[in-house]
Amino acid sequence: MAASLALQGGQAAGHVAGEVSGGVTFLFAGVLVALIVCLAFEEKLHAKKSLIVGVFAVASLLLGAALLPMPYGPYLIGGHEIRMPVYIPAVDWGVITIILGASLFVDVTSRSGLFTWIAIRLTKASGGDPLRLLWFYGVMTVVFSAVLNNVTAMIIVGSLTAVSLDKLNRKDKLLGFLLVEGLLTNIGGLLTLISSVPNIIVGTAAGISFMAFFVKASPFVLVATIITLILGARVFRVEGLKDEAGRASARALVDSFDENDGIESRGFFWFGAVMLVLFIVAIATASVTPLVSDLGMGFVAMAFAIVMLVRFKDEVDSFYRTVDWDLLGFFAALFMVINVMEHAQVLALIGHGVEAIIGLGPTLGTGAVMVSTAAFSSVTDNIPLAAMLAKIIAAMPGPGGGPLPPTDPLWWSVIFGANLGGNITPIGSASTLVAVTIIHKHGLHLTFAGFVRKAVPFALVQIVIAAVYVLWVM
Amino acid sequence: MTKVDQFESVFRAAAKTPFAYRSVEVESILVVSDRDEEEARSLGEQLRSFLSVLQRGENVRWRIVHGGDYGTVPELLKLVEEERPGLICTYRHLHSDSWRWPYTLGEYVDVLTQATTTPVLVVPHPERMPDATMENTDVVMAMTDHLVGDHALVNWAARFTEDGGRLVLAAVEDDSTFERFMETVGKIPSIDTRSAREDILDRLSRDVRDYMGACRRGLASAGVPISVEDVLAAGHRLRECRRLVEEHDADLLVMHTKDEDQLAMHGLAYPLAIEVRSIPLLLL
Repeated sequence: MAASLALQGGQAAGHVAGEVSGGVTFLFAGVLVALIVCLAFEEKLHAKKSLIVGVFAVASLLLGAALLPMPYGPYLIGGHEIRMPVYIPAVDWGVITIILGASLFVDVTSRSGLFTWIAIRLTKASGGDPLRLLWFYGVMTVVFSAVLNNVTAMIIVGSLTAVSLDKLNRKDKLLGFLLVEGLLTNIGGLLTLISSVPNIIVGTAAGISFMAFFVKASPFVLVATIITLILGARVFRVEGLKDEAGRASARALVDSFDENDGIESRGFFWFGAVMLVLFIVAIATASVTPLVSDLGMGFVAMAFAIVMLVRFKDEVDSFYRTVDWDLLGFFAALFMVINVMEHAQVLALIGHGVEAIIGLGPTLGTGAVMVSTAAFSSVTDNIPLAAMLAKIIAAMPGPGGGPLPPTDPLWWSVIFGANLGGNITPIGSASTLVAVTIIHKHGLHLTFAGFVRKAVPFALVQIVIAAVYVLWVM
Repeated sequence: MTKVDQFESVFRAAAKTPFAYRSVEVESILVVSDRDEEEARSLGEQLRSFLSVLQRGENVRWRIVHGGDYGTVPELLKLVEEERPGLICTYRHLHSDSWRWPYTLGEYVDVLTQATTTPVLVVPHPERMPDATMENTDVVMAMTDHLVGDHALVNWAARFTEDGGRLVLAAVEDDSTFERFMETVGKIPSIDTRSAREDILDRLSRDVRDYMGACRRGLASAGVPISVEDVLAAGHRLRECRRLVEEHDADLLVMHTKDEDQLAMHGLAYPLAIEVRSIPLLLL
């Protein structure tokens, strides 16, 4: 997607990609495998993602400059010849601006106390009953993951879970709660086009609109959430309070939460609430709103972030510091690596492999793509995989020789597989990693294998439901 | 994972400590004097008048013990064990002349406060009792260094406040300890010293004020006919405590003396009980 999407309406006026030998393609394929292995062992390397991929981006570009016919430009954009380094148009700035804008917007909005207010109100509404609390927190996790992002959702709900279970003297249930919430972040991450990065990458490559994405994904999210919560309550033995005295005592404990404690300004609280609703509406209608449809969702996210930052105009730098620059650097470098891999015909090579899987038939092939995407996503980052597969599928001919339509199950099998694969291992997604970190922070013992043992039954059920939904229901 | 910490902090701050109102019943009072029977009875009369608030709707049983009834600490403890009073009233330096040197409470009070679970009302020594110190309890001050969650202190103090009287809830932060921590914070580059100072002070005061507010609401909803005031101070702990007692013209000072971590009296209560000699002290 990178260069081709980033330069819609533009093309390299200089070099034209030429033939690449098989040996060079395999050399670059080896570089890509090394990158994926390094990302899988990120924790062992004690290095941040952005640095790992950055190193590979530098190496790939140098190797590409030496061995590949790279399109150095100048580039024709809107009839203008523009000079820029080859790695600049390689980056999909639309994706970067969505992530940057949404992250800033969420950070500033959270200062209004809105999210904590909602979280505490739900805690009070549960009356402190553990089973109701699990359902309320589960639903909140899904909604927050969908509206914000799954890492922020896990942080908010996970930290509240730790505090409220401590208050209710139910710390024995903390592991189960956090694990279920971690798994639900990846379910919630499927609800909208902007809920997770694979959605953004694959969805934009497929041309799926926000509303179309929501309409298609929401039935699965609803069913998967209910089943995960029922299963979670059974596996972790989360039961409702049986006697009235216990219910009264629990209610008194949760009633002592003050939802207004984190609200510094009532005016800003309401402003944040209104802006959040407007943000969701604007993102949902970005593809059909005049002017905005031309500027894209990244513009919407950045515009809302900037409007919110006006409230803190003299301390905006503190919000800039909270931006996940590691994630943004990771994306930028990743797009560069993938761009080089495209020129080295590595993506075409993988594409042949994917085509072989798809060739198993419309049902078996698409199902196999979902399962293999999930399996791959469980051991390494799902973002490079989503980016690669999006690019490969975008190049595949659809019915009538044109591109695959947004409704093609292949797109959805990648989206579902990339998201749900994160539920198999603790390193499968950033949000499950956050859940495990909170678990460890509170002194609970959970190994990698322990997580897998507990999570696999959930992940299997979710993937089976997703396969049935994508292949036969959608 | 600083964001997890941030949100956990927000939620912990939102988790307020509710006040649990419990009605305090004092059914019997043991007055312990080291004087003769006549003087002991006179002290008893004074105390009946001073503690008229305890007679409210209750039939309180009084027993007066004079100096001839006991001569040692074990004998006094045996008397307490037999009587099992709801309150012991006495004064410093029983059977001793060391009241002249105000550096201790005397062995009897030391042991009574720690060896029994019964609250001890320590009134000024008969030799030093000014006339105006034991009229009534229309201003009662509950004092501690960490008020939040100390329901018993508030409930007892409320019980001893006369109808229509004022209960002053006072929390005193020792600034020498705070400054010592801030000095350390000032040497840690990753912590903004100024904002740390402001934030910690703000949080400390908000937590205490929130609890004081909960006490005020809890007592009002229980129908206790008193007004509740809150005082939050920081400074040299003893000086501040003494200043507050004088400033509010308190008739009775209520403190906790038990400390789970030590056999000796609570770290704030002991020096304060020695320093504040002009008004009665209720030592829980």
